[in-house]
Amino acid sequence: MNLLSKLTVQRQVVITHEDVDRAHDRARVQAARERGSWVSHLRLVWLLVGPGILVMLGENDGPSMLSYAATGAKFGIGFFLPFIVLTFAMAIVVQEMTVRLGAATHRGHAELIFERFGPFWGWFSMIDLGIGNFLTLITEFIAIRAGLGFFGVPAWASVLAALALLYTALMTHRYWTWERITLAVAAFNLVFIPVALLSHPDWHSVGHALASWKPLPGGLNKDMLLIVLADIGATVTPWMLFFQQSATVDKGLTKRDVRFGRFDTILGAALAATAAVATVVATTPLFIHHMSAENYQAAEFAQALKPLIGRLGASLFALGIVEAGMVACVTISISSAYAFGEVASRPHSLNLPIGQGKAFYSMIFLWAALAASIVLIPGLPLVYVVLVVNVIAVLAMPPALLFLFMLVNDKELMAEMVSPRWANAIATAVVVFLTAAGVLFGISVVAPNLFVALGGK
Amino acid sequence: MTTRTAENHERIDAAEQDLVLSTLEPDQLAEAKKQRVPRRRLKGRELLILWCLRAYLLFMVAVVIYQVWTGAR
Repeated sequence: MNLLSKLTVQRQVVITHEDVDRAHDRARVQAARERGSWVSHLRLVWLLVGPGILVMLGENDGPSMLSYAATGAKFGIGFFLPFIVLTFAMAIVVQEMTVRLGAATHRGHAELIFERFGPFWGWFSMIDLGIGNFLTLITEFIAIRAGLGFFGVPAWASVLAALALLYTALMTHRYWTWERITLAVAAFNLVFIPVALLSHPDWHSVGHALASWKPLPGGLNKDMLLIVLADIGATVTPWMLFFQQSATVDKGLTKRDVRFGRFDTILGAALAATAAVATVVATTPLFIHHMSAENYQAAEFAQALKPLIGRLGASLFALGIVEAGMVACVTISISSAYAFGEVASRPHSLNLPIGQGKAFYSMIFLWAALAASIVLIPGLPLVYVVLVVNVIAVLAMPPALLFLFMLVNDKELMAEMVSPRWANAIATAVVVFLTAAGVLFGISVVAPNLFVALGGK
Repeated sequence: MTTRTAENHERIDAAEQDLVLSTLEPDQLAEAKKQRVPRRRLKGRELLILWCLRAYLLFMVAVVIYQVWTGAR
């Protein structure tokens, strides 16, 4: 029995609408578990997956997909294919900890930081997350606008369509329905696979790159190192920790479900890594044809790819960017609202009726609407916004990781779910690596010439 | 153990109350989550980590301000 179970013993039981909705979901899980056949086991998987897939496909957001596209156009098939797979493996290690924390404590990440480490660190995490998420949200709307711009859709219509999807999914005020709608949209992230196939890749080169981490055109230089650091930061970001833990709690997962949560996370990472690798492969023809794509936006990538992979491939690429932006809009908005509700002690669940969750839903609606309206400002320095977002996302990661690591090793909270020694060894290596990457990236911003002085080209 | 529905919430019938009590763990209930988790008593190594984090925070804020400033110029 952990600390939280002891706290709830012998209290008067108060039941809310949110509890009833969650209980209906849990009843289906219980029924599937009791049957014991392989069909019911598959049903159990179907019922329990969700947060892991959403967080990983959500992280394959607009800017990330453009970054993968730029990587393929600049470096081709080589070092970055296995490197992307490695970053997702690190993401699994980190996200698995949030599943365990959520299932063991039934509390969100922001809430635990606030209550276990005090208001200073609680509000710091909240404000840090809020600013990072808001700026990231702007970049998602930029991606949606650029992707739909390929089809001639005006900017205002693109932004309205994205907001309409976000609001429609939430209007169900039911976690399960919201999760399934968002999963259906997120599955479209895999559209980058047919785009890659249309580019007729050299499968021998793909296999060789995955096995050997080669070739690396240009060798190890400052630019390459910065891309590596930015990619690390882009694959594991703070909102992912907050979102998956809160979604695990909102879904109602318990300690018995942790292995399904792990499977969910691994499956999500596998799907997201496949889409990311496919994007690199899809834009490799630009590298082969020596087309400079450093500052391409979504529509420009699609336009540049059109003569090489055809109208269908280019259209699918643009649609993939739109989907990436839309899913991230949904997950990032919700991660902010969860964290706000947890820190401000306001009701925070997608099972809340609108009337009972006014603060929660208002936070999502207003934050998204504000970000969307900023994107419509003429002459907005989009590249500048994206740069600041990257810096904040990478720098915010070390504190978030340290709190995660301390919480998951908190014996009072976790009881028997505390990390075993071998898992801690892996987690420590990943946390140290990601923290070092964050610090190095910060140094590279302040002193860009330092890497050159240290021996880079 | 006594059971009641939350004030100002719509009425929840007995069958649904039974369903909630049989499927959810006690600390999964929304009202139970309002109970604050006690503050953690930090020991030497953890205090050191938090002080390092404060130093990192200054570094982080400086980097972000620098980035915003140079970008704006």
